[in-house]
This record gives sequence, structure tokens and C-alpha cells, in this order.
Amino acid sequence: MEQKKVIEKISNEYGIKKIKFKKIENQQFKVKINKKEIINFLTYLKNIGFWQLSLITAVDWIDNNQFEIVYNLVSWELEQHIIVKTFIPRENPRITSIINIWPVAKYYEWDVNEYFGVVFDGNPNNGKELFLENWDDKPPMRKDFDPLNYSKEKFPEKEYKNFRMKRKREVIE
Amino acid sequence: MKEVKLFHGPNHPGMHGNFSVHLTVDGDTVKKAKPNPGMLHRGFEKLMERRLWMSNIALIPRVCVPEPDINETVYSMAVEKIEELEVPERAKYLRVIILELARIAVHMMSIGGIGGPTGVYTAPNWALNERDMILDIFEKITGHRIYHMYIVPGGVRQDINEEILEFIENTINDIESRLKDYYEIIFESPIIHKRLKGTAPLTKEQALDWGVTGPGLRSTGVKYDVRKKFPYLVYDKLDFDIPIAEESDAYTRLYLKYLEVKQSIKIIRQVLSDIPKGKVRNKLMGTALKWKIKEGEAYGKVESSRGEFGYYIVSTGGRYPYRIQVRGASYPQGLYGIEAGLPGTRLEDVSIWLDTMGVCSPEVDR
Repeated sequence: MEQKKVIEKISNEYGIKKIKFKKIENQQFKVKINKKEIINFLTYLKNIGFWQLSLITAVDWIDNNQFEIVYNLVSWELEQHIIVKTFIPRENPRITSIINIWPVAKYYEWDVNEYFGVVFDGNPNNGKELFLENWDDKPPMRKDFDPLNYSKEKFPEKEYKNFRMKRKREVIE
Repeated sequence: MKEVKLFHGPNHPGMHGNFSVHLTVDGDTVKKAKPNPGMLHRGFEKLMERRLWMSNIALIPRVCVPEPDINETVYSMAVEKIEELEVPERAKYLRVIILELARIAVHMMSIGGIGGPTGVYTAPNWALNERDMILDIFEKITGHRIYHMYIVPGGVRQDINEEILEFIENTINDIESRLKDYYEIIFESPIIHKRLKGTAPLTKEQALDWGVTGPGLRSTGVKYDVRKKFPYLVYDKLDFDIPIAEESDAYTRLYLKYLEVKQSIKIIRQVLSDIPKGKVRNKLMGTALKWKIKEGEAYGKVESSRGEFGYYIVSTGGRYPYRIQVRGASYPQGLYGIEAGLPGTRLEDVSIWLDTMGVCSPEVDR
């Protein structure tokens, strides 16, 4: 189906007139939606043919003090890819989980929870370890986390002077 | 009976890469499985945010070792979408050659590789030979065998001449002449029949719930291929089929890969005869170190050997990417699939499950 028709269909059927769609290319478009609407909107999209959840990810907009949660859905019947975005505050970030709609979301959300510290209400794995073992700093994909400083603090530089001298002496002797 | 906890990997002959699965077994039956990634210690996505747009080209092929070219392609495609940059026609054809050659190499390694967990040890040795012949082509084209760094935003790095095109044709003819032998040694082997038929079944509902794509999804009867449904490069001009199967088990998934190799050879033949002349790269402004990509975001995706592979890229108009997320093709089956799909299988079939579902660990653990 053509992108225009899909967009028309969604904005007519879903009932919110203020949704703004933006074209990225012929088969890809994006839409921004309120955090409260997210479950209803994604359920609706799944019902009209966007069966596949391709990716859930987050972007840290530190200047605006916001996190952006991004859902990528694919429909191979309509041949369209939709990027659904929603913004949540950076302090105490919470959003409802969608594991009841797509079971695989469990791991995508766990991933975002671990790397950004976003809490997904309803996901049983909030705060558990997946990729990072014994992590004691702030979530690493946030923009204010500096990997260089972290490694300097965690693994301070060691001096290997004595070792080198010993080896030299051995050679001389 | 008492349940025992068992670690399958990371150092295990049936394991692909640095990834482990914690199994709880009762006798020989798996009761519970928990994927345990996080042993790569690289942090690709964070590294990419600290590098220039161009220097990332050298980093991203490392995301998937057996098939590195898809990374460069999706990265370039996403950047081109944001920048609204056109790619020259010849470059598109060259990209298709590279992608399809890589697909043949991975599929051959996967088809032969099944000999490892099942005990048909001749097959892996043969298959590695085919992969090596394709690596020879890559060496001629790009100068590198494993990581090519050939595909860049705007086209490809350099043109290839008639001599190399002829070499490619000879090599794929050579490989095609031996495909029959693989059919005999693998798909007609009684050992493979006994071990693979009915092993690791997958239903259509499961595949959709888990988000499985690629041969895994197609083996359940869904005809979804990114090359057909979201045509990129010149796939809409080429004539090829998407093989599908009705009932999914380890054997049908492996057989689909075998059929896909034949289709890839067909695609390469068409490309070699149709390839137009012309330039191969539209340059972005200035030198590569000063590239600034427009503000915006895009999702580039291709059909890899394991399914849909994509990059989500966000740019704020600077010299560095703001955020890049890698969508590994085996992410769904590598994490949720293991948790939901492995319980109930027998211990010796775990490697077969992982092998035919195509779990590639570095793209799970970015």
C-alpha cells in the first residue's frame, strides 16, 4: 500500500487528529506520540498489520532533559516501516512495558533498562543484569557517562619501571 | 530426578563466539535456558558516538565477523537517507555483488558447519574451502580478506575491472559445480536425516512472537524477505525467488539456506551481465574528516543471512553521530528465542538449534 494511504488510514481510524507524520523515504515514516497513548497506539498498529517489532531503543537528549523511546515496527503486508517515538522526562524515567503485545519486547526493554536506566512498568527484569556484570556506575549509554574517565578510575595506570630494569640487567649480565 | 545446572559455552565447540547459555537439565532434557551475553567487552555503540562519521567505517565491520559487509551497507544506507544522497548506479550493482558473495560464504559455512555438532566431519572442511575462494575475490576487490571497509556513504571505495568480474564468474561457476556434492554428503546423509528431521521445531506463531526473521521465519511459511518487500539497491530489477517451506525444523531451515545459495548465484550472474559503466562514488562535501551529516534520523535495513539487519542512526548535524543502535539479525532468537525455544530439546540438540537458527553473538552483545 502507498505510504499516503497508510497515513490517511491511521489518522482516520485511530481518532486523534493531531498526530503528525513525517516521511523519511518511500517506505519509512516517523510519528511522535504522547507517552500515555503508546499502548493503545501500538496495539492498534499491530491489528492493522504491523506484526513485527523490529527494535526498541532509546536516545538520551541531555540538553532537553528528556529520553526518547523509539519503537520500530514493520508490516510486510502494507510494505511500510514506521518509527514511533515518545518522550519521557530524564528524572525518574518510567514508561509502560509492551511485553503483553510482543513477548520479544522483554529483551529489548531489558536492554534499554540496563543501558539507560529507563524503568519499564510491567517488565519483570527491571534492574537485573543481562550484559553488564557487577556494574556500579551510572547506566553507560547515557550522554553524561564518560568511558575514558571511568577506565582511568577503575583501572589506574601502573608503573612497570622495575620490570624493565630487571630485564635490561639480565641482558647486560 | 535431580536437576543439574550446566554451562553451554563460552568455550564450547558447539558455541558461536563469546556467548554462553545457562542450561538446567534433567537427565538429557533441557528444562530451563538462560542466555548470558556480555562477554565481548567492546561497547560498539558507545565507541561509535566518539568517532567521526568516516572512522566508524573501520569499526562497524567488527559487529559480525563472518558477514561484515552488511554493517557497512546499512550504515551507509542510513546516512544516505538522512543526507538524501544519491548512489551511482554502478556502485549499487557492486554492492549487490559484495552482499551476495558474503551471503554465499556464510551460508556455505553454516551448511558445512552442521557437520560439527552431528559428526559429519568432511562437510565443514569442504565448506571452508568455498568460503576461502570467496575471500580470495574480496582480497582482489578490496585488499582485505575478512573486514573489507569497501562500502562507504555515497558509493563504494573504488571501481573494479573486467578481469576481476571474470574471476568472480569463474569462481561462482566453480562453486556451483560442487553444490551437488553438498546435497549428497549432507542432505542425503542418514546421520543428518536422523539428527535433524523433527529437531528444533518452530511454529509460525512462535516465530512471529519471538520476532524471528530470515530463514527461520521463511521456513514457517511466511514469505518475508527484505529484498522483496523493502527493495534496496537494485534488487527490484533482479529476478530471483524466495524459497519457503511449510514445516520448520532444523533440516528445512538448513535446506532453505542451500536453496538460497543457488538464488544468490543466479543474482550474481545477472549483475555481472547487467552492470552499467560509470562512476562509483558521489562524494559528500569536503574531506572525509570534516563530514557533517544533516540533522535527522533514519533506519537502514538489509536482508542478511540470518534475517533483517538494521542500524538506527540519529544525527544532530555534527561531525560525530549522536546515537547509533545496531539491530542484530539474530537478536530476537539469540535472547528471547533461547529462553522460550530451548526448553524441551535434548542436550545434544542445543548446538543444532543454535547453528540452524543462526545465532551470531557479537551482534547481540554490541
